[in-house]
Amino acid sequence: MSNVTLYSISYDLSHAVVFAVGSLAYGSWRAAIDSNAVVTTIAVLVFAVILLAASMLNTIVLIWYERKLLGRFMDRRGAMHVGYAGLLQNFADGLKLFRKHTFAPREADDLGFYFGPTAYMVSSMLIFGILPISSGWNSGALPLSLLLALVIFSFAPLFIFVSAWSSNNKYSLMGGMRSAAQMIAYEVPLLLAVVAVVLVAGSFDLSTIVYEQQNYWFWGPLVVALVVFVAAMLAEMERIPFDLPEAEAELVEGWNTEYGGMLFAFFMLADYLRALVGSILVVLLFLGGWTLPTWVPSAATSFPLAGIFWFMVKTYIVFGLFVWVRASLPRVRTDQLLRVGWNRMIPLALLSVFLAALLVSARCLPVFGCVPSLGG
Amino acid sequence: MSDIWINMGPQHPMTHGLWNLRVRIEGELIRDVDPEVGYLHRGIEKISEDRHYNEVVTLMDRTCYVAGLSWEHLYMLAAEQALHIDPPERAQYLRVLCDEFQRIGSHIMWYAAFVQDIGLMSPFLYGMRDRDLVLDLFQSYTGARMTYEYMRVGGVRNDLPPGFTHQARKVLDWLTDRFHEYDQLCLGSTIFHKRCDNLGVLSGKDAIAYGVTGPMLRSAGVKRDLRKDRPYAVYDRLEFDVAVADGADVTGRYLVRMEELRQSVRILRQVLDWLDHHPGPVLADRVPRWLGAPYAPVGQEGYLLKRRFPTGVGFSSVEEPHGEAQAYVVNQGGEHPYRVKFRSPVYSNVSAARQYLVGYHVADIPPIMGSVDVCVGEVDR
Amino acid sequence: MAPTEVAETLGARLGSRLLGVEPFPGTAGRVRFDRSGALELFRSMRDDLGYLHLSMIAGIDWVDHREVVYVLWSDTRGDYALLSTDLPANDAHVESASGIWPSANWHEREAWEMVDITFDHHPDLRHLLMPEGYQFHPLLRSFKLHEPEQLEVKTRNV
Repeated sequence: MSNVTLYSISYDLSHAVVFAVGSLAYGSWRAAIDSNAVVTTIAVLVFAVILLAASMLNTIVLIWYERKLLGRFMDRRGAMHVGYAGLLQNFADGLKLFRKHTFAPREADDLGFYFGPTAYMVSSMLIFGILPISSGWNSGALPLSLLLALVIFSFAPLFIFVSAWSSNNKYSLMGGMRSAAQMIAYEVPLLLAVVAVVLVAGSFDLSTIVYEQQNYWFWGPLVVALVVFVAAMLAEMERIPFDLPEAEAELVEGWNTEYGGMLFAFFMLADYLRALVGSILVVLLFLGGWTLPTWVPSAATSFPLAGIFWFMVKTYIVFGLFVWVRASLPRVRTDQLLRVGWNRMIPLALLSVFLAALLVSARCLPVFGCVPSLGG
Repeated sequence: MSDIWINMGPQHPMTHGLWNLRVRIEGELIRDVDPEVGYLHRGIEKISEDRHYNEVVTLMDRTCYVAGLSWEHLYMLAAEQALHIDPPERAQYLRVLCDEFQRIGSHIMWYAAFVQDIGLMSPFLYGMRDRDLVLDLFQSYTGARMTYEYMRVGGVRNDLPPGFTHQARKVLDWLTDRFHEYDQLCLGSTIFHKRCDNLGVLSGKDAIAYGVTGPMLRSAGVKRDLRKDRPYAVYDRLEFDVAVADGADVTGRYLVRMEELRQSVRILRQVLDWLDHHPGPVLADRVPRWLGAPYAPVGQEGYLLKRRFPTGVGFSSVEEPHGEAQAYVVNQGGEHPYRVKFRSPVYSNVSAARQYLVGYHVADIPPIMGSVDVCVGEVDR
Repeated sequence: MAPTEVAETLGARLGSRLLGVEPFPGTAGRVRFDRSGALELFRSMRDDLGYLHLSMIAGIDWVDHREVVYVLWSDTRGDYALLSTDLPANDAHVESASGIWPSANWHEREAWEMVDITFDHHPDLRHLLMPEGYQFHPLLRSFKLHEPEQLEVKTRNV
């Protein structure tokens, strides 16, 4: 099972298609079509389409999940009318947004106005090509996949700022400013918390990090890093209590005030994509990815696609916690947020790095068992 | 960033209505504000001059759409003074019942809107859910949930339906528990205190100079409540405490309103007990016939115009949920009031905006204005 | 406090510009004054009698003349007082009270646009409830309802 990856499936698929097409062609055409380059190209495309479909479907289900969960927290039922229990509500909403006329303010800078949301969307989707969802997801040929994921993740403030500035609206501008300040402030503790994980796991490869967690999950020994990571992630995802860039009470909708139709849908989808990425990263780095503790009966881990199943369960539980936070906390203020970011989060993150280093040098913790050997 | 003016309104999530707060900001700091009102001006004072005394009630419901009954009461007190009519005792108790339930409804509505302003989402729905119970009660005896048209010159339109007091007590029990829950959600949160403590401070001295009244004034430690200081209706026979706080800030206003909710429950229990044991008329006998009818009976208009009622001037003030409302009614004889003037508490509270907004952050505007409890309908009238 | 007491205190200050203090139910009295003594009366009400709180200002159009009614509240005395002055209809102006009670600001703006009473030395006498450039005074008796008004509102550059 483990040598069958999503990419190998799409490779076989494209190979079969190319072979079938090629067998109908003549002579030199056949050689041209049945070459390795064509097969690889098509395999990559198939791979991308599967990823796109999976991530978009997941995002839409995630929105539904949040709406329903939020509804329950608020003593109501959430969307109920379109589809069973409102499952199709988001598709209906998406269709509505898709049909809407997209327009830009007269004074807006068109290039930035259209480029911003598109790039924001694309960069958020890119991360899904990197994240391993289960052992059979990709070939694991990316030794720096964690670093790459975080780099792409941190593109966002730039695109937000571009679209906010080119909207030519004071609310958008203030939202963009806040967003940039906030994301830059919380990028640092986020990365430092990741450094703690990398120190213990000994690798930047997400798959390796998960394999290193087979004995015990990292949230136990690295609980300080987990706290910092989740808090910073909340700020990066711009969710309550850190959703000031789009604080609807004072900034209308923050940096996406001027957007409507599909461009707004891009922002909204990308926000949820990033929320999904955030939850996935928490699961990958701290909650053992697709692995389960050894005391779990093997029947629970050996059915087909068990890895993906458990991974998604964990991801949705983590996201559910984010929703819970959203339902029960008020929003903080920009200066308070930045003060917490620079004055509290960074020292805490440094502490977590220090603890991780101690853990690695001691090599053994009586409670959590021994640290696995460093990768490489 | 140099100074820029931004228009928060007329359509803005902060405004809770239709008005415009022009804010001059430097970065995230507020340098100057200039409230602009009038978007909802319907000329209620002018329309009143063309209406019979009882028809003005319709307008009163629309003055403040979350505290219609308090405004009806206010107008009735002034009109009765101008027309020299005394309502029966039971009607006065019923009016207090209306007032206090209205206060509960209005304060819960305020709570729901206020927590939304600081980003708390769930309590908004809790507030709306619980306010519905109060609206259900209103519906059961006035027939409407928002525009009641319940009070009449000389009393009220009708008595309570059977079983009302039982139902009302059940609602009060439920609400008392919920108030505790509200407090836990807000006061129990560190972020709430970070956001609201020492915010929008308006000292008692400034508050008095700028005509600020109601919970905003009481939060500055000034023990001023018309129900105690100048009891109208039957408030002098009821036991309750005036809620005060001493922070003069947003948290203080929150505490005052929450305490007022509890005191209202206390008043309502006494009123319900009294109503159970004292049946009686709810409309004065000596009310002129035309006052009781929505329109003058056909064929009597000329008679009415010829007949001169004793002239008079009525002045009344009522502790409305937002503060101190006043009415000034001039009766020159005849079927219409000659001049009606209303004083809305929110009008003065908003006019002092510069005093409690300048120097804070843009992000503080929603909680501060939320704590003022702006009801644009009564600002613009 | 009885109206006679108010009359004594104010009479010492204002002399003949105080036209009388009538009893008014629920208040300390209704002080009638001549507009020439307005500022002095306001100051005396605030400083000598402790009426720190101005609740409202009502303008009333009596066709042949106009009346301004001030409602005051004293925290220490715990009662209301009404002030009222008559102004000729063709020359309706009175000293602004906004220097004494800041809360008078908006009330005077409203009285100005509604009943056409000018308040001298008002810091910011512009339209409040009506759109800028509105030329009518709706609460005058001559402004009849049910008549289409000829209104052209200029757009404003902010």
